[in-house]
Amino acid sequence: MITVRGLTKHYGKRVAVDDLTFDVAPGRVTGFVGPNGAGKSTTMRMMVGLTRSDRGEVSYRGVTYEDLRTPARIVGAVLDARCMHPGRTARQHLRATAVLSGITTNRVPAVLAEVGLETAADQRAGGFSLGMRQRLALAGALLGEPTVLLLDEPSNGLDPDGIRWLRNHLSGFASQGGTVLVSSHLISELALFADDLVVIGAGKLIAAESVAAITAANETKVVVASPQLAELRLLLEARGLPAEPTDGRLLVRDTSAAVVSQLAFDHGIRLTELTEATRSLEDSLLEMTRASAEFASS
Amino acid sequence: MTTTMLAPPVRRSAGDDIRALPTVLRSEWIKLSSLRSSRAMLGLTTVVGGFTSWAVATLVTDEVMTVSRDATYSTVLTAVFAAVMGVLIFTSEAQHGTLTTSLTARPARWMIALAKALMAAGVGLVLGAVGLGASIAAAKLSGMAPGDSSTLPATVLWSLLFTSLAAVLGLGVGMVARNSSAAISGLLVWWLVVESLLDLFLPVRVSRFRPCLSGNVLLGIESEFATPESIAVAFGRGQAALVFGSYTAAALVAGTVLLYRRDTN
Repeated sequence: MITVRGLTKHYGKRVAVDDLTFDVAPGRVTGFVGPNGAGKSTTMRMMVGLTRSDRGEVSYRGVTYEDLRTPARIVGAVLDARCMHPGRTARQHLRATAVLSGITTNRVPAVLAEVGLETAADQRAGGFSLGMRQRLALAGALLGEPTVLLLDEPSNGLDPDGIRWLRNHLSGFASQGGTVLVSSHLISELALFADDLVVIGAGKLIAAESVAAITAANETKVVVASPQLAELRLLLEARGLPAEPTDGRLLVRDTSAAVVSQLAFDHGIRLTELTEATRSLEDSLLEMTRASAEFASS
Repeated sequence: MTTTMLAPPVRRSAGDDIRALPTVLRSEWIKLSSLRSSRAMLGLTTVVGGFTSWAVATLVTDEVMTVSRDATYSTVLTAVFAAVMGVLIFTSEAQHGTLTTSLTARPARWMIALAKALMAAGVGLVLGAVGLGASIAAAKLSGMAPGDSSTLPATVLWSLLFTSLAAVLGLGVGMVARNSSAAISGLLVWWLVVESLLDLFLPVRVSRFRPCLSGNVLLGIESEFATPESIAVAFGRGQAALVFGSYTAAALVAGTVLLYRRDTN
């Protein structure tokens, strides 16, 4: 369990994180989303004591990160895959990390195998691809067999197989009671395995809900085409379903394709097109954060 | 791991930090020994120590050089190498991002600073010993006269203290600058330019507190620009060690304070 209360950080006059309060529950994968410059990375750095907050506190089952006796056994963090010396091999990097964290070096071959880097263990990190560096960073986070994983854009540089492995690993980790907080710009990817979402924008909390709650609030639309469009429209409006003509078709909101098709069938109306569309999670989140986006494409 | 693990994590105590020192030191050793640059610096120190002695033995003909006196000349360069290693012990971590790994693994930042200081001192000691060994061996092989060997043990001990302190000074400067180029060039500019300028403008009673001058006193190197006035107020080796050590301590304290105050990105 991660508890964030009133977390605030200023850089001069700029407010990077503004009174952020949310919980990350165990046994679930929590996505941490927001536009560029929203304060996600700053928040995650404050969660592991790399950046000092101006106000507020982050605690892990009631204990702040700085007070943890063996942080690596509680929190595994992947904040930047580039954090490794290019002259050191993967094995040496993990050995140094394990020893520093008070973890037995017997864990090194185990985590290398877990992330699929056992054949590259004795290669220097300077020759690694971004995906290999990402895997090595994950290996470092898993050394202490932590109960909490904090991951900042962990799928950057991973191939589709790697992304699937990561998704399955995090889901499995959470299913065994672990706490997972993962930030990602790949909202469509997060939607596949995140249970909860914390959405921030301009340093402020916008939403902290389950994915199911966010998607349930999304409106469903049905697009229907028919040679008897006018008659169908009258039937829909009589049923209390306003239908907007658009490009020779009808757009019907807050209903389902099943309802529209049943209505048409009951009245002998032939349909040439019937499409049901739900607003995607990505669209919902983009709309939530649009006002607070620092950089937005035109 | 199951959801029944609900007990709060164990809190860290001051005793935990102190007991962790051996493991932090071991980690620093793994980091240092795993890099080719460390072995390269050791090789460079050996070569420079030997070459300097051979060059002095071969080229200096206008005065009688002895082994004990010759050994100190290469130690000046060894001290520079030691300071550079001290800088890199911190700045390579800062620049490659592994500092974040260290600080997340050990939130007690003073422990990281202490371990790095002890490692730097050890590196300075080893480099000093290797440089002196190579220098003395090359001097003897070059047929240099042994001279008064009764002063050699004291010279060796003061030289090793100098190189150890130089390495820790480099670490402190590196912790303040957080950039290899800035720290190394700053040290060299101070040694080669600033100290000479200060000597021109400062009264001798103040000028004797210069760090590099103190280093030369530790090595028993007499300045060719010494005046009767400066000689009269010059520090002895013990006092010079205190002066140089004070600069080292100040740099290390400043670096540790900044390590706590600065955010690590």
